Amino acid sequence: MIPFTRGVHIIVRLELAQRVRGVAVYVLLGLFTILVAAVTLLLWATSSNTGMNGTTGSSGWLFSTIVYFVLLLGTLLVPALGGAAVNGDRDAGTLATTQVTLVSTTQIVIGKFLASWITSLAFLVVSLPFLLFSFTLGELPVRTVVVSLLVLVIELAVVSAVAVGLSAIVGRPLFSVASTYLVVAALSIGTLIAFGLGGLAVQTEQRTTFINVDASSYDDEGAVECLPPEVYTSQVPRFDLVWGFLAANPYVVLADASAGEFDGSGYPVDLFGSFALGARAAQIPPEAETIYDECGALQSGRGYEDSPTPEEIWNSTTPSWFVGLAAHVLLAAALLFWGIRRTITPARRLPRGQRVA
Amino acid sequence: MTPSRYASIVSPPGERALEVQMTQTPYVTAPSPSGRDGIVVTGLRRSFGDVHAVRDMTFTARPGRVTALIGPNGAGKTTLLLMLATLLAPDAGTLSVAGHDPVTSPGAVRRATGWMPDVLGSWNALSVRRAIETTALLYGMTAERARERAEELITLVSLEDIASAQTRSLSRGQKQRLSLARALVHDPSVLLLDEPASGLDPAARVALRELVRGLARDGRTVLVSSHVLAELEELADDAVFVEQGSTVSAERLARAASSARPWRIRTTGSPELLPQALADLQVPAAAVSTVGDSLLVAVSGEDSAADLLAGLVHRGVRVSTFAPAVGDFERTFLDLDRHSDPAERSGPGGDGPLDPHTGDVR
Repeated sequence: MIPFTRGVHIIVRLELAQRVRGVAVYVLLGLFTILVAAVTLLLWATSSNTGMNGTTGSSGWLFSTIVYFVLLLGTLLVPALGGAAVNGDRDAGTLATTQVTLVSTTQIVIGKFLASWITSLAFLVVSLPFLLFSFTLGELPVRTVVVSLLVLVIELAVVSAVAVGLSAIVGRPLFSVASTYLVVAALSIGTLIAFGLGGLAVQTEQRTTFINVDASSYDDEGAVECLPPEVYTSQVPRFDLVWGFLAANPYVVLADASAGEFDGSGYPVDLFGSFALGARAAQIPPEAETIYDECGALQSGRGYEDSPTPEEIWNSTTPSWFVGLAAHVLLAAALLFWGIRRTITPARRLPRGQRVA
Repeated sequence: MTPSRYASIVSPPGERALEVQMTQTPYVTAPSPSGRDGIVVTGLRRSFGDVHAVRDMTFTARPGRVTALIGPNGAGKTTLLLMLATLLAPDAGTLSVAGHDPVTSPGAVRRATGWMPDVLGSWNALSVRRAIETTALLYGMTAERARERAEELITLVSLEDIASAQTRSLSRGQKQRLSLARALVHDPSVLLLDEPASGLDPAARVALRELVRGLARDGRTVLVSSHVLAELEELADDAVFVEQGSTVSAERLARAASSARPWRIRTTGSPELLPQALADLQVPAAAVSTVGDSLLVAVSGEDSAADLLAGLVHRGVRVSTFAPAVGDFERTFLDLDRHSDPAERSGPGGDGPLDPHTGDVR
């Protein structure tokens, strides 16, 4: 047998030359560049118009938007590029001729996965000039840059592994590409739907008491009398019970891992922060009993209680990104492993209608 | 392209193989071109669900000889070759290729075996040269050695003119030659060729024949599957007949060999002389038919044929042609087909005997 890394290396080079490097990929990269350039320009124009020259400026928003763009485009294109890696070769009659050489099936599948991953990273590479440009707009926290790019690269690897793994498990290229899209959709959109519907399905009762001022008692001296408390009951959705669905969403994973920076008033400084806050806020259970004492506030002159700032919400909730990320990596590894098992030769059992060569 | 070109490269026998072996890379232990072991198959069985592609195959293919694998579509030839090429595991029976078991030590078998599949797949975005180079790398050669080997093989299969063309632009015959080059990349001691001549023009067929004969002469074991019998006739030393997933027994082959077959007889001089002489020799009229300017006479066995010829010459018939009208392989093949037991033909799964679309399960 050939040493493991050498075999993988040959397969990666073959795969890049044979499957990936085509006019289509260059066209896609070109379109992607134009898209990112347009977004960069618009964001830059918006921020200079509205005079967003606070502490961090618009650099965080631009940076996080571009990173999300790469994730979106990556998850949309990788299934098409790598979703037929193994079964497409079987159809073309080149899988068996590779399997009779000294590379192992593991090397073949891992090589194809790496080639697909490298291709998806090309989208990150062409967006580098724009990421660098976002640095010039203001200071970016190093932690955000490092963590977000790391999570992005891992998520792209996950999609590549799912695509290649499914192409080795499912017999027909069309079905494996479609099922890869289904997995991506289930994680990106399915988790949102499950979260929304799940929260609405489980509702609890909330009692709200209003104590208003008796307007007729209002006189010049400022003494007021209170009206009797009015109590309302309503059903509120329990998103705090189903927020786990959101933790499996790749966009939330990216946000939850990268966010954590807030401006002076406690507001997020980038898209990561906004997304992550939305997911984090869902963890807080609704209060069973709320009292709006307008009258008491007026009498004591305290005013309303401050509602918590985003930063306070952030600090009072639990991070979940590592659970989501671990689940994704586990899924990817399991699909690759299963794919290798299904493709290994000499084949003992073959799925119905499938040929070795 | 001339046939002599292939021949000049493979001969003198032995020398080339030796040179290749000496420049092998450290990743590959050089296969011994004079592999002593060949192919030994006993009681082989493999089914796909209800379809029994291979029921019971037993045969030996010896080193230094070309063995033909003959049988109708769906007889299990390709399934057998896939098992020998380490791609499929058998349900039962034993296999030995170049002294190794393809199931327990596929690596050793792969190192020693060159497989040319019946499906013509190629990396279509790669050039011919790059495709062969890549295969060489996959067999563990160094980049430098792979480049050399690619040039050698491009010359060997006469693809020089299109060495830089993408393989997607190749014709069927050119792809066939590329496929052969790929099977020979690591100088294997055992060659498994599945329908190697389909799509080749006559000159290329002759060249292929010379090449394969040369490879066998060097001591390699060559197993060729085909149903173009006339072609195998000139190529093969031995034959294995398969039918309904089973190898045909020696007794049945002997019976088939002794059955009557037509001989073609042509004479010069007076045309009445031959029918007259045949009547004198008590050849029944039913055994004689006329095709063009020659007569076909059904004769059972070589001895009877020799007697008939002697009788004709003795009676003053001027015989210019006296030869079997069909080749040995074809005669046996057709005879087996005609006399095969109907009960034997329909398997438990009820799969049809000769359907090329459903029967030829890989």
